[in-house]
Amino acid sequence: MTLNRRTMLKAGAVAAALPLLGSRAFAQTEPLKIGFVLVGTINDNGWNYAHNQARLYLEEQLGDAVETVYVENVPEGPDCERVLRELAQQGCKLIFATSFGFGDSVIKVAEQFPDITFEHATGYMRSANVGTYNARFYEGRAVCGTVAGHLSQTGKAGYIGSFPIPEVVMGVNAFVLAARKVNPEFTITPVYLSSWNDPAKEADAARAMIDQGIDVIAQHTDGPAALQVAEERGIVGGFGQGADMSAFAPNAQLTSIIDNWGPHYVKTAQAVIDGTWESKDSWPGLAEGEVEIGAYGPKVPEDVVAAAEAVKQGQIDGSLHIFTGPINDHTGTERVAAGVTLTDEELLSMDWYVEGVIPPA
Amino acid sequence: MQFRLEKRREPSRVVLYSAPLIAVLLTMFFGAIIFSAIGYDGVGAVREIFLTPITNSLKWQDLAVKASPLIIIGVGLSIAYRANVWNIGAEGQYIMGGLAATWVALLTHGMGGFWILPAMMVAGFLGGAAYAAIPAFFKTRLNVNEILTSLMLTYASVQLIYYLVRAPWKDPMGMGFPQTRRFASEALLPNIVPGTIVHAGVPIAIIVALVAWFVMSRSVFGYQVKVVGSAPHAARYGGFSENKTIWLALLLSGALAGFAGALEVSGPFQRMVPGFPTNYGFTAIIVAFLGRLNPLGVIFAGIIMAITFVGGEVAQTTIGLPSSASGIFQSMMLFFLLAGDILVRYRLKRVAPQGEARA
Repeated sequence: MTLNRRTMLKAGAVAAALPLLGSRAFAQTEPLKIGFVLVGTINDNGWNYAHNQARLYLEEQLGDAVETVYVENVPEGPDCERVLRELAQQGCKLIFATSFGFGDSVIKVAEQFPDITFEHATGYMRSANVGTYNARFYEGRAVCGTVAGHLSQTGKAGYIGSFPIPEVVMGVNAFVLAARKVNPEFTITPVYLSSWNDPAKEADAARAMIDQGIDVIAQHTDGPAALQVAEERGIVGGFGQGADMSAFAPNAQLTSIIDNWGPHYVKTAQAVIDGTWESKDSWPGLAEGEVEIGAYGPKVPEDVVAAAEAVKQGQIDGSLHIFTGPINDHTGTERVAAGVTLTDEELLSMDWYVEGVIPPA
Repeated sequence: MQFRLEKRREPSRVVLYSAPLIAVLLTMFFGAIIFSAIGYDGVGAVREIFLTPITNSLKWQDLAVKASPLIIIGVGLSIAYRANVWNIGAEGQYIMGGLAATWVALLTHGMGGFWILPAMMVAGFLGGAAYAAIPAFFKTRLNVNEILTSLMLTYASVQLIYYLVRAPWKDPMGMGFPQTRRFASEALLPNIVPGTIVHAGVPIAIIVALVAWFVMSRSVFGYQVKVVGSAPHAARYGGFSENKTIWLALLLSGALAGFAGALEVSGPFQRMVPGFPTNYGFTAIIVAFLGRLNPLGVIFAGIIMAITFVGGEVAQTTIGLPSSASGIFQSMMLFFLLAGDILVRYRLKRVAPQGEARA
């Protein structure tokens, strides 16, 4: 056995040299092979579903010029590294890693494959061949918050999050800022599940918060579990996240934030094919159509739809930015002065809650 | 027609040791049929999952890295199970070992020194052993079933990670993401094959298995474990303490699981993250049985399990098999192994038919 292992280790060294041999530039006629790394399954009807829809859109738009593969249920850790290398070794020249926790792995693997382009969704670390992309979900959250502010009877919402990273914190804040423009007493309680996709925990958290008196629920996890509980318990409702989830909660889904990654994928693939790709951060929102607001549910009266659409339009034409002061933090101290708008950098490192958020213990 | 299981007086040694191989072959055979039946390329699935990782030299480093924690934990479990001590909570002990090592790494951050990594390894050993001491204490003092206590403690340890990485150990530069800072270079496990991901944990896993094999087959301790496990009454007459064996079995399996955790966090992970629990502790249970509770067998079993993981990802990218496929293959393997075990130890005997006898 030791002999075997020793031979294997030697071969490993040889193996390490192999990708160098394989990295010759592909002839123009060969399709660009594109890999997608997903943290959940494409059937989650949310985050990963949306990325897969965009992958299909990409295939449809660019046809024979591209070929795509995806790997599902990839844990955020060293396993991701292996999957990235697997895709690289199979000839992918462009790889999209679509979850925050893949960041370390992307940076590490990208170093080993300098001629492959990597794009990391929602990340913050870039290098020569690693770009990042995201969508301004907070703009959609502001629309949802407006609906919640109008419809909530208890004035209390729950927010099921994965991890308290800036992207999620930003969503919680945008939601409650918008809701408090309608109902100044509105509060929101976030809970963090340390997972992007754990339907059982999401449902448990939703039930517990409903028992504590919330009547609107929002979630920043990948699936419709919380909405299903909202439907079952008959509270005012919740919001689809990532995709329209009305199939799971026809009454409870008030509206949904739809991630439309397709155009970004087409643009990025085309840039790689043309040789014009460069490492940068891309962060479009409602105006560019990367974030969309889905259909409004049957419980949302027309005047509320009009109010929500006004918030949406304001963000599209630039007349409204939800993070424009005055904004107080959750202790009541002013953090953003009147008329000042937080910069993108400030938003991307946001680690504080606005007034109205009841911080988790 | 009815059947009854009748114990064989002397199970054939050849069959006993070839059962895992037969289980793997049956898994491949039925796997191909099942996946063909639901519309995938079944033969291709088996080829990609079981053969590609072996034939494609690019995958060997992945196999080595994936197999080594499974082997280290599996060796510990195989000793415990030999003693009839059912430590199901290796995952928790693995986590506590990883956390103990992380604690040392964070405490010594910026100090420098060759002793940091060994200190982390010792911390891993102790962390895992200490966590396994809890079920050992309850088992020996209050006769509480160790299956329950060790399993439930796993969930407690997961929550401990979440707590630590969210507040006291949070990376100051991590944009609020719940993870510790990246370890300093003194706290990272060295790579032993340049240009690959093969780290020092790989040869260590083999050494652990060899030492364990030697101890189990050549020492009084090994003999004691086997006697207490297979014939507790005889052991008592022989003067072997059952409680002492329970303590040793749990501490040893816990320490090895903790050691694996320390290697993982200082090797592939390089920091503590909420995603640290990756079910190595649970998968190692299958590894221990697939390896016939023999440390040398565990080496092979660890590699086979690593093959199914790595191959599962290959099959996803090449023939579009869903990710749950590798789980199905692993479960089938355990099923055939356990079923095979029954048939190895027992024979199927027809009970006198009552009326409707069929050929």
